[in-house]
Amino acid sequence: MVNVVKEQKGNALHVRLSGSIEESVNFDQLIGPAPAEMIINCKEVPRINSVGVKAWIKYFQAAQSKGSKLTFIECSTAIVEQINLISNFTCGGRIESIYVPFSCTGCKSELVGLFKAEDLKKLNNQIPDLKCTKCGGKAIFDDIPEEYFAFLGR
Amino acid sequence: MSRTLLLISRRPEDQAFAQAVAVTAEMSLRVVAEPREAAALIAQEDISAILADTSTAEQYQALEVAIQEAVGLFSDRINANAFHFLRSDDLEKVQYLVQSPLFGHFILRNYGDPAAAGENYGRVVRATLAERAFGLAGLIRDGTKVQVVKLSNSNQTQQAVEAVKNYLIAAKFQTRLATVVANAVDELLMNAIFDAPIDSLGKAILSATPRSTPIDLAHQHEVEMHVAYDGKYVAVTACDLFGSLDKVKLMSHISKIYTEEEYKVRTSVAGAGIGLATVFRSGGSFFFVSESRVRTEVTVFFQRTDNFREFKDQFRFISTQFYF
Repeated sequence: MVNVVKEQKGNALHVRLSGSIEESVNFDQLIGPAPAEMIINCKEVPRINSVGVKAWIKYFQAAQSKGSKLTFIECSTAIVEQINLISNFTCGGRIESIYVPFSCTGCKSELVGLFKAEDLKKLNNQIPDLKCTKCGGKAIFDDIPEEYFAFLGR
Repeated sequence: MSRTLLLISRRPEDQAFAQAVAVTAEMSLRVVAEPREAAALIAQEDISAILADTSTAEQYQALEVAIQEAVGLFSDRINANAFHFLRSDDLEKVQYLVQSPLFGHFILRNYGDPAAAGENYGRVVRATLAERAFGLAGLIRDGTKVQVVKLSNSNQTQQAVEAVKNYLIAAKFQTRLATVVANAVDELLMNAIFDAPIDSLGKAILSATPRSTPIDLAHQHEVEMHVAYDGKYVAVTACDLFGSLDKVKLMSHISKIYTEEEYKVRTSVAGAGIGLATVFRSGGSFFFVSESRVRTEVTVFFQRTDNFREFKDQFRFISTQFYF
């Protein structure tokens, strides 16, 4: 079940989502009427099912049609997967930053690194390795670049 | 008497795959290069399953024409349950296969190791040769324990999904892999609970019901989840007692993608219609078995890998078995 923390900063309403987005989600109740500007932090969304996707598009599409400016930040891997699978998942909003998955070649740990979308465009699918925070080994990008970064080419 | 598996392909990798399928399914393998040769064999001999290279629309058309001329497309000698189409491209690019009257099974030819993929798929073929292909035990390695979870209310779905995820994490699956499998289980259970129920006229009775509505899962609404992990593959089955699965609708949903086209929110139904397609594109394979008005079992398979890249790029198939 997803929780929402809202904070007004200047003109923008900052919305932090945490938890799985599934059939129980009601964005109208959780976020309320769409403000003029909304910054949605998706860092803590580990999972979204198909009914959650439908609810997401329904809410953010309505917000966008009312003129709300949408910016998605710190998108989790689960959210990035949906952005790539559903062409209108961001409902006209801008993706500012996403988490990129890495896998340690030594201890096999999973890691994520936060990247700005504009920086990723410049990297052209050549993602630099990270240092594993657990064993200090080399952590390499762990997905199919043409698929994980497909949204950048839209 | 040994049953016969017929391969129509010139590709060495298909032959290695088919050889392993035949061994696992305990079949004898015949290999031909041309659809006409295959059709002639089908007319003369008992062929139990056919693996056909349908890499191009022309190859598929040649097969369809040859079958039509030799025995007819709706012959009692052969039916869609026996045809396994081999392709290198994903499902959305092959509408001619999805809409084919011969469509039974789709195999995406990213075998990795053809022998290992063939051993895995051989269990599916073996299951299709039984009088009814129900039961998870036959789809995984012999001796693997199958855990059965009976849901009594739809509001237990997310608990069941999280339980599968936690089980897989405990079994050393990466968290991201376990989450993908959990999402697949979520979609299967939701479909079994809300999309499967039909009335006596065959009309869906819960399709417009919000998915958060608690539904008592008793009597014909009973839904079970079966889970097995054999150390290499995890398989989860959702079982319902309506036997209402519609192949045309199923294939339409599963082959639909929204990477270019916009997804439109339909308010007339509560489901989203994108769950199965998402699961298939995340690395999952499916085995759908449905006996009309009796029972449907939908099984999703994933191979455990050390990293997500291999997981997403794993050997995949969609297999259907319908009984009327």
